[in-house]
Amino acid sequence: MHSPEGVAGLCLIVLLAAMAFAAPLLYPGDPLAIVGRALTAPFTDPALPLGTDRLGRDVAAGLMHGARTSLLVGLATALVALAAGTLVGTVAGLAGGLMDEALMRVVDAFQIVPGFLLALAFVSVTGASLPVIILAIGLSAWTGPARLVRAEVLSIRERDYVAAARVIGMHPAEVALREVLPNALPPVLALTAVIVATAVLVEAALSFLGLGDPNVVTWGSMIAEGRNVLRTAPHLSMVPGLGLVATVLGVYLLGEGLADAMAGRKARG
Amino acid sequence: MHRALTMTRRRIVSSIPVLLIVIVGTFLLLEAAPGDAVDAYLLSLGGGDAGLVAELRQSYGLDQSIVKRLTLYVGALLQLDLGWSVAFDRPVLDLIVERLPNTLWLMGAATALAFSLGSLLGIVAGARPGSLTDRTLSIGSLALYAVPSFWLGLVLVLVFAVDLRWFPTAGIETIASGKTGLARVADIAWHLALPVSALGFIYLALFLRMMRAGMAEAWRQDFVLSARAKGLARRRIVLRYVARNALLPLVTMLGLQAAAMLGGSVVVESVFAIPGFGRLAHEAVSGRDAPLLTGIIIVSAVLVIAVNLLVDIAYALLDPRVGSGEVAP
Amino acid sequence: MTGFLISRRNLFLGTGALMTAALPMARAWAEDAPRGGRLVVAADSEPRSLNPAIVASNGVFFIASKVVEPLAEAMLDGEGGLAPRLATSWEGSEDGLSITFKLREGVTWHDGEPLTSADVAFSAMEVWKPLQNLGRVVFANLDTVETPDAHTAIFRFSAPTPIQLIRNALPVVTSVLPKHLYEGTDIAANPANKAPVGTGPFKFAEHRPGEYYRLTRNDAYWGEGLPKLDEIIFRVLPDRAAAGSALEAGEIQLAAFSQVPLVDLERIAKVPGLKVVTEGYEALTYQLVVEINHRNEILADRKVRQALSHAIDRDFVVDTVFLGYAQAATGPVPQNAPQFYNPDVKPYSFDIEGANRLLDEAGYPRGEDGKRFSLRLLPAPFFSETRQFGDYLRQALGKVGIDVTLVNNDTPAHLKAVYTDHDFDIAVGSPVFRGDPAISTTILVQSGIPDGVPFSNQGGYANAELDTIIDQATETIDTEARTALYNDFQRIVVEDLPLINVAEWGFTTVASDTVLNVGNNPRWAVSNWADTALSR
Repeated sequence: MHSPEGVAGLCLIVLLAAMAFAAPLLYPGDPLAIVGRALTAPFTDPALPLGTDRLGRDVAAGLMHGARTSLLVGLATALVALAAGTLVGTVAGLAGGLMDEALMRVVDAFQIVPGFLLALAFVSVTGASLPVIILAIGLSAWTGPARLVRAEVLSIRERDYVAAARVIGMHPAEVALREVLPNALPPVLALTAVIVATAVLVEAALSFLGLGDPNVVTWGSMIAEGRNVLRTAPHLSMVPGLGLVATVLGVYLLGEGLADAMAGRKARG
Repeated sequence: MHRALTMTRRRIVSSIPVLLIVIVGTFLLLEAAPGDAVDAYLLSLGGGDAGLVAELRQSYGLDQSIVKRLTLYVGALLQLDLGWSVAFDRPVLDLIVERLPNTLWLMGAATALAFSLGSLLGIVAGARPGSLTDRTLSIGSLALYAVPSFWLGLVLVLVFAVDLRWFPTAGIETIASGKTGLARVADIAWHLALPVSALGFIYLALFLRMMRAGMAEAWRQDFVLSARAKGLARRRIVLRYVARNALLPLVTMLGLQAAAMLGGSVVVESVFAIPGFGRLAHEAVSGRDAPLLTGIIIVSAVLVIAVNLLVDIAYALLDPRVGSGEVAP
Repeated sequence: MTGFLISRRNLFLGTGALMTAALPMARAWAEDAPRGGRLVVAADSEPRSLNPAIVASNGVFFIASKVVEPLAEAMLDGEGGLAPRLATSWEGSEDGLSITFKLREGVTWHDGEPLTSADVAFSAMEVWKPLQNLGRVVFANLDTVETPDAHTAIFRFSAPTPIQLIRNALPVVTSVLPKHLYEGTDIAANPANKAPVGTGPFKFAEHRPGEYYRLTRNDAYWGEGLPKLDEIIFRVLPDRAAAGSALEAGEIQLAAFSQVPLVDLERIAKVPGLKVVTEGYEALTYQLVVEINHRNEILADRKVRQALSHAIDRDFVVDTVFLGYAQAATGPVPQNAPQFYNPDVKPYSFDIEGANRLLDEAGYPRGEDGKRFSLRLLPAPFFSETRQFGDYLRQALGKVGIDVTLVNNDTPAHLKAVYTDHDFDIAVGSPVFRGDPAISTTILVQSGIPDGVPFSNQGGYANAELDTIIDQATETIDTEARTALYNDFQRIVVEDLPLINVAEWGFTTVASDTVLNVGNNPRWAVSNWADTALSR
């Protein structure tokens, strides 16, 4: 990976990951604890470098712990979406026929329903907690990978080495695992970047509509709460907002850098 | 043209089972929800006794089984009756017909903005891949993509409506202004300027980056290489060969973004108080209004299918290489 | 900052005295106030029905009270706290079995028909008693309404009914409907529920869903020289930030019910041309309470409940969550209801040590990890303050070793979980005090209420002594004896803590300086706005 964007993306992600890991060391205890006077301005109190929010909670602690939860939401969603998408895509692609048809109609159904609407309905139905939110965002994110994997599987299926594997009596599942999937993975990884970024943003929008998990700090909930005081204390929404921008940029750039690198290797190999 | 017709017919037939899945899924989802339409309504009442609660459930038909309600609903649907909204106490179809145009305007304009500005900046960026302009534009648009739409909307309101007073803070048109014809269109456009920006700027990055990627691809193509070898002016190569070829895939992107934008309009319409489809959907969810939400989802599904169909037809007409098979979802 | 908070709180406390002094001036003002103009007001929701006779709620009143009038309205220095509207006098019999209303003469409906006692009788028997959310309770014993002449209505009850209760309920439960439009129809589905026809100072003109409601001047209004305004527009602005922006941009002139978030008030009060008004909500007090599920055996212990109450810093809640626009509660009746408020109760001080001691005594020592037990807390999603208090309560209880998990729900899910399924340990609620404990407050602690009744005792609490007092008070006709019963009621509730009262708050109005006569009665936001005017 040589593109400067890719390197920059990597640096951003490493930095964010470091923040996430360091959070419990630098700010042990509950980041939601009330530690100071409400709405302390940033850079006025050395103990509270980024000030406090409406209840007197430390914004810096929120930012660090928020990195943890926000990255967790993004990665977990991507994982859920990729796992489900790969499974459905592979099965549909390998099975073909009626099974393929039926599975793809289900994919269609999930794809034509606006994803945010689906997440919104799902969260209000099941109650707002972090796992539910991850699942809700995953519900609309898995169709992309499913389609991609299926298309790859279909195109690869007919290729010589897969046919050969079948001739020598390998089980279809084994064919899928050994031959088809590794080839289908690069474009799917590129999609991951989009899913992670979208997940973090959707979580913010859900918090905005009052459907976040109140037991943890996320950047989304910080922005959603901070926007009520946009005039009087803009830093409350801008600090986590910058975190969000850094995450999305980092994930995107890294994803693109990786895709480029893989494409390059493929082209060379 | 014949090909387009065949495609249309195929698409419509194959979308019927999809819609059925959507309908049953929505119904089941809301059935599993804690609290029903009566619970949602009781807050606005500020309370009531047990008798009232039971009477309300009965009058909404909520005391019947889910199977019975679902059969009734699908039966009515076959006669193009979208049912009765419990939360609004009005026919679902009326509500949708009332709100849909506002959202279509919003989405249409936002798409146009994202598409035109995105592809334009994408051409600028892709003209010299790797240049400073390219990097600035790519990263800038990505940063914009990372801004939650509600936050962007609020900042736009504070700057352009409250401080500068160039645009109104909210709403779809001037209240009870009695404007008609062109004056009314201008009024609506003036009101939509900020929400369209809030929604459109978010998706700008997608078009920009896709355009840029397409152009980077095109630069490597033989015909471009030969054009360069012939010593044609760079500007001419960029516009005639590179951009033109990169533009086509962007059209499919339009279809893919339709569903996403519909979702995005939920938040933007709340911030800007636009009586549209997205806000209606949110109200349907919080009002536990199964018929309304199902109606909205069906209509938005139909909308997404239609947009994709149009995109595919356009694509097929623009690019003769494409057959009548599956092109895009 | 602190100075600001204190001055705000004093303002809130001193509202009553201030208002009385200011009233004669306000009245003179009302007569001189200029006529004409369009007032644009922010509305945060669109009620499904605009019929205040069926849905007696603030959301409906906010718009419909300008169109449909009650028999009497609240008024600070009025006789019995009331100002006559469609009724000019009301008198209860000695035995509490009948009340006679004299109706105003020369009042016409917006469609030109005259108002008569038949309209009142019809509204009472066909709407208030069988259909209205609050009327079902207040008029439960109403037998018949006699109409000896066109302007007299005699309400006859099957059991003694305290005149005090009826009087206190008049502004809320007695919106009069036109019999000639409702008789013989399905009342709940009548088109007039969406486009109300009344006798009020404004006529309903149109509703553009999602955009606005428009009301226009009723030229035939009975009040002399009233109304002042030509038009009122309720502009639908669902987002909390929208009202503030629209006010600053001059697109609307008034936002009531704290639509401008409290946290923005200090700043917006300094914007030239805008004023913050805290008066006008004295009879619309909301109470911040912690609801308790007594089925949880830990919480069934009174000592634990008292410990919870001691663990809450009410001053912090008032100053930080409500930014001073509230006051700490001492019991189930708010302090600005002087008719009933009992000041002789022992308030729970903020005392972490005391709370810890009580919890130790109750047999719940801290474990290895410093925690005593875990609770699930469901904050009501109705106000941002109820949610914020939930966030605070989690922290406050953590300090005394109680591990709290917050459960976030939207409105229907919250109501179902708390009031039907009882799936909670503690919950944050916001009941409204409606002028008489019998209408709104006793239901929060009374036993035997069926499951599923929202804003009632669904915590499984049962106290025979309290139940007896509540029952006695509903049929005690003598005002003094009845008030004494409610004093006992408050003492027992504070002692036994079926629920914990934390704070009481009214709302705020932000208005343009050009809007005159804002907040000049204790239910101002939901009153008829006949004297509201725009200066030029």
